[in-house]
Amino acid sequence: MQDTFTETLVFTLRKFYEGAVEFVPNILAALVIIGMGLVVAGLLKFIVRKILVLAKFDRFCADYGATLVLTRADIRTAPSTLAGRVVFWFVFVLFLMSGTSALGLEGSNRLIAASILYLPRVFAALLILLIGFLVGNFLSRAALLASVNAHLPSPRIVSAVVRFMIAILAFAMALDQLQIASNVVTAAFTIAFGAVMLGLAIAFGLGGQDVARRVLERRFLNPKEEEEPDEISHL
Amino acid sequence: MSRDEKCKASRDGQRGATVDDSLLPEEVRKQIEQIGRVDLLVGIPSFNNAHTIAHVVRAIKAGLVKYFPGQEAILVNSDGGSKDGTPEVVRDTAIADYRTLLTAHPLLTVHKIVTPYHGIPGKGSALRTVFEIASRLDAKACAVVDSDLRSITPEWVDLLLGPILKEGYDFVAPLYHRHKYDGTITNSIVYPLTRTLYGQRVRQPIGGDFGFSGRLAKHYLTQDVWETDVARFGIDIWMTTNAITGGFKVCQSFLGAKIHDAKDPSVDLSAMLTQVISSVFGLMENNFDYWMKITGSIPVPVFGFQYTVGLEPVRVSVERMIESFRSGRRDLSTIWEQVISKEGFAEIQGLENGHGGAFHFPADLWVRTVFDFAAAYHKKVINSEHLLKSLTPLYLARTASFVLETADAGADEVEEILEHLCQEYERLKPYLIDRWAS
Repeated sequence: MQDTFTETLVFTLRKFYEGAVEFVPNILAALVIIGMGLVVAGLLKFIVRKILVLAKFDRFCADYGATLVLTRADIRTAPSTLAGRVVFWFVFVLFLMSGTSALGLEGSNRLIAASILYLPRVFAALLILLIGFLVGNFLSRAALLASVNAHLPSPRIVSAVVRFMIAILAFAMALDQLQIASNVVTAAFTIAFGAVMLGLAIAFGLGGQDVARRVLERRFLNPKEEEEPDEISHL
Repeated sequence: MSRDEKCKASRDGQRGATVDDSLLPEEVRKQIEQIGRVDLLVGIPSFNNAHTIAHVVRAIKAGLVKYFPGQEAILVNSDGGSKDGTPEVVRDTAIADYRTLLTAHPLLTVHKIVTPYHGIPGKGSALRTVFEIASRLDAKACAVVDSDLRSITPEWVDLLLGPILKEGYDFVAPLYHRHKYDGTITNSIVYPLTRTLYGQRVRQPIGGDFGFSGRLAKHYLTQDVWETDVARFGIDIWMTTNAITGGFKVCQSFLGAKIHDAKDPSVDLSAMLTQVISSVFGLMENNFDYWMKITGSIPVPVFGFQYTVGLEPVRVSVERMIESFRSGRRDLSTIWEQVISKEGFAEIQGLENGHGGAFHFPADLWVRTVFDFAAAYHKKVINSEHLLKSLTPLYLARTASFVLETADAGADEVEEILEHLCQEYERLKPYLIDRWAS
């Protein structure tokens, strides 16, 4: 019985030893890959930051209001540094996954493959949000200026509506890209967009009925009462 | 580079001017070969001006035969693809009876070229074609006039071409008799700024009707601007500025009143202001080395018989202008505070009634504001179109203040007030240089 126990113990220890010996290179390989990941990610972070600084990306972000939004969110880092950090973590996570896969753990490869396949969607969604934000800022400012110069009564409301509608559109597109409840998002977007439009129609209809009546009266009943333009020639 | 060196360089550049055959149709090139050379050329850029251009063509032909009877002359119509038969009107227009103009029948006929222009649609491209034809025909003196003029007379031809042919000038800017409230963009920004930057008092730098020497036409052709906004709009200020910075001899001719077709009402003030100011600020960008060294300004000689007439009252709603400013102050302050200096921004926020209760926008504050916008345009603080559109309420505030200030003033008094504004621009030029470089 003692022999059997010893044999079993030796067998188990040998199996453990063999397994460990077999696994150590995997660990080493994983560590090397992760280490390389740190170096490569760090290098890319440095390069990306330098390029963005040279391309005056921080000024661009300031122009389009991105810096202001980051500041409001208590993120005081320069956009070029932030972009460098994003690149660092993206590259590092890729190497980390690759390192984990080198360990040869059961099921991990499938999980990692699925995660890697999902990453482009995450980045596409982030890109959509960023573009939506920049376009929203640009167009809302254009709407504000056009409304002020056209003497419209509430320029800020016009500007805010433009910004809000573009934000809704970008958010819905980003969620669709992430494949998060696509049907629900599409339906929610349609309802929200429709609600905004209906709200505006009702608001203008009720709030602006006096104005509309005056315009119609002036147009059809008393055309001479219309405000006459200045006779100044500006050029 | 000194002014003389710059002048020499520009003239050297003319010798290297290349001939671009793609600019002119083959038929026009053949016509030019047949004509050979001319002494005088008058160009008319046009686009859908069939109902006004005949008068302009008749005035030019009459002017050429009356004032330059012994000179070979040509009239060039550079058209932007009119659909209303403008080129046909130019081709068919003739003076039936010269006896009302001359004691004898003219010895030489006035040649005529009617051609569509190529390139980006706009007055700049149209004038490029005129410069090209002038260069090929080796014209000594040239002029361009707008095709919608109703007040042009044969005397304009003499006034625009005479100083070049007889006095050796290279560029003749127009000087019009205008109502005190006409040309407020010119009076409050373009004239004082151009004078301050380039040191010459050209009163109507964007007048639209100019005279220029053949040498200057060749100089214009050598400039690499024909794919830029200069080709679309801004050619007038570009021609004036280039004549000054190129070291060419500049003068002015008094043409009397300028009456032309009413502008398209769909073109709003904000878009117009943006186009004009972007042209001026764009030129500041390119000529920094030139203008930063200039201090003060010199008068530019004037030809022609000057006179003043009474001022009829015009309809102006000052209250509406002030309301536009208040709306801008309420809603555009986030943009303005990125552009205007801290002190200037505070002054604008507190801007309301001056002495006597009337709305008042002080001249020095206006000048600093214009300089702040120029520096912000240079430094690309925000999108340039947004930047310039945000200037509109401030411009209207300044215009309202000017209208109130000059309500009872005569023409001479108004000119004095404008002279004071120009002096403020010149006095504050170091502020501009400081803001530009900071």
